Amino acid sequence: MTKLNSTARRLGAALLLSTGLAGAAFAADKPLDGVTLTIASQNDQFAAVIAKLAPQFEEKTGATVKVDILDYGSLLTKTQADFVGHTKSYDMVTMDIVWAGQYADNGYSVDLTDWIKRDAAELQIDDIYPAALKYIGQYDGKQVAFPFAGYAAVMAYRKDLLDAAGIKVPETAEDFVEAAIKLTDPSKKIYGFVANGQKGAAVAQDWLQYNAQLGGSVLNAEGKPVLNSDANIASLKVYKELFDKAAPPGAVDYDWGGREESFRQGLVAMMETWSVGAPGYYDPSMSNIVDSVAITYTPVGKGLPPKFGFGGWGLAINNDIDEKKKEASWEFIKWLVSPPVHKEMNMLGAGSYIRKSTLADPELNAKYPFLPIIAKSFENADGDYRPRIPQYPEIQDLLGTAVNAVLVGGADPKAALDEAQKQAEKLF
Amino acid sequence: MTSISAGTASVPRRRSGLRFTDRRKLFLFCLAVPAVAYVIAIAVYPLAQGIVYSFYDYNLLRRGGRMTFVGLENYRELLTDATGQRALINTFAFTFGAVVFEFVLGLGLALLLWRDSRFNRIALAFLLIPVTITPLVVGLIFRALLAVDYGYIGYYLAEWGITDPRGLFAGTSTALPTLIFIDIWEWTPLVALILLAGLKSLPGDILEAALADGATPAQRFRLVILPLLLPTVFLALVLRMMDAFRVFDSIFVTTGGGPADATNSMMVYGVKQGLQFFNIGYASAIGNVTILCIAFMAAAFALLIRRADVRANET
Repeated sequence: MTKLNSTARRLGAALLLSTGLAGAAFAADKPLDGVTLTIASQNDQFAAVIAKLAPQFEEKTGATVKVDILDYGSLLTKTQADFVGHTKSYDMVTMDIVWAGQYADNGYSVDLTDWIKRDAAELQIDDIYPAALKYIGQYDGKQVAFPFAGYAAVMAYRKDLLDAAGIKVPETAEDFVEAAIKLTDPSKKIYGFVANGQKGAAVAQDWLQYNAQLGGSVLNAEGKPVLNSDANIASLKVYKELFDKAAPPGAVDYDWGGREESFRQGLVAMMETWSVGAPGYYDPSMSNIVDSVAITYTPVGKGLPPKFGFGGWGLAINNDIDEKKKEASWEFIKWLVSPPVHKEMNMLGAGSYIRKSTLADPELNAKYPFLPIIAKSFENADGDYRPRIPQYPEIQDLLGTAVNAVLVGGADPKAALDEAQKQAEKLF
Repeated sequence: MTSISAGTASVPRRRSGLRFTDRRKLFLFCLAVPAVAYVIAIAVYPLAQGIVYSFYDYNLLRRGGRMTFVGLENYRELLTDATGQRALINTFAFTFGAVVFEFVLGLGLALLLWRDSRFNRIALAFLLIPVTITPLVVGLIFRALLAVDYGYIGYYLAEWGITDPRGLFAGTSTALPTLIFIDIWEWTPLVALILLAGLKSLPGDILEAALADGATPAQRFRLVILPLLLPTVFLALVLRMMDAFRVFDSIFVTTGGGPADATNSMMVYGVKQGLQFFNIGYASAIGNVTILCIAFMAAAFALLIRRADVRANET
């Protein structure tokens, strides 16, 4: 009995030892085993793709990644509540380019500056467009998020309609306005232009894009608001003229969805938009214009330097979570932006670019012919035309009301912007 | 027997040192504690905190969420600022427009449905369908119906030149009336139902006496039915008024307060300040002013109901 017992004990010990060794080897293979990371993600094209790729990260590192996909308003509300209440519901948050000021001011997220320096080689940082790093996440000397989805403002147009009217693709903003009005023929239900007209963020963001191309800006060199500058008033008059003479009547109530749909349905000849929507124009399941659509640079005002709107999303690591989770989140970010994964992400239709090598990739270029336009736009990118300051949400709302009032309420552009300026000054 | 019962009654008094009435009070107090605690937790405490916050400049997104005491500044700002004034005016206009039409139409419907017949019972069931739909969904349905590009109604209205080609929601002069119309569509049946219940409970003998005395239908309505129905009328009005004053869902999903500020209501403005800009101090002031307006109107109606009740009983 005693002998049996000692044999059993030895066997048990050997078994334990071997299990322990195997476990150790397993742990070395999968350093993040048992860690669960939760991402609050904007419901853009990349969200479903990240959720689809996440199991690959789990296979590689052992960490489970959950992606909570939210619309813009819910994402903002839920993540702010999480940060303010220190509830640690989310380990990582997709951060819109314009939230950088708030994140930096309030210390919501981990400052990634040192980690980026430490892992520069692994990140192949030189392959990432400087504009992406600068605008998505850099603020006040901090890197509050790491870019993973850069969007370029581009112009989408209908080759067939422009050819039929004998109009060249506009290269300046002035040509754009002229062409848009000429191409409009309500009797045939063809309109030269479409943009967001709906009150709030929708109309504000689209007007800011046209405003920047026409030489306007929200802040002056000292960083103070100049909403009622002469350039802004002039550009708002142009925007109103476009809506009155060249846009579908319903456009005054369009947000991004309505605007894109009207273009895909073949109602509109030209539209400025984010590059992320472009794959949809080539998708026959949702687009009527697959064979006639083309993408080019956004036209800039005559005599102004070529500058192209830049936007997009970065991943920010919640500053409230513990060190181990912070490190794990950083591992995930490095994995997601690594060249092979980033290429796969875009092959799956994420429309999210930050790397020169991805935009130059032959396989991706064969699938999406407009990538050189994005690459060139990224080289002359302007990510500050929507100022990334903490007061941006309120300024956007003031402009969203003022511009909408001009478009549909018959308000005078100067009076509307004067009122918005008065309100904006109170925020500084 | 008497001595036994007296004995049992005296024992607990000696034990607890409390008299029967005190024990009863204590027992009733204990019964009330959960309800009172609940009310304090979900109503009194947030209300009190909202009042405190409204005296502060308190934004969660700026300056690390620090609070600065500003006294009545938030209220001054709300009442002098063009957007705040617009929101207050819009809310009163919406409430007045919606409640008046709902009352007139609801009373008409109630009178039509008063006679108890199979047709009326079936008609009432159908009429109540709008009430069962969430206001948010009603807003989404009307938004789709009135869209000029694809809406079943909006497209033809614009095509035939009845409305502006941009649609009813895009006009500063048509957006608020359209929202009032939606509210009337949804809530008139409820007003009709409340008034119908009132009509059905009217004493039959008085109505028969009026008929026997040779009163015309108009006289019967003006001199008999309406005075007797007044408490129910006020009840319907106060319920709808309180509800209409805090309108949010239908506006939020159709116009978002636009075009310009043409349909911005107090609740839409408050939610934007509180949950979009996290401007807690200012949002609290908006909420408190809304509560005050509703409380004043409700108090006025309560007074009217009481007076009408007294008069109806006297008759």
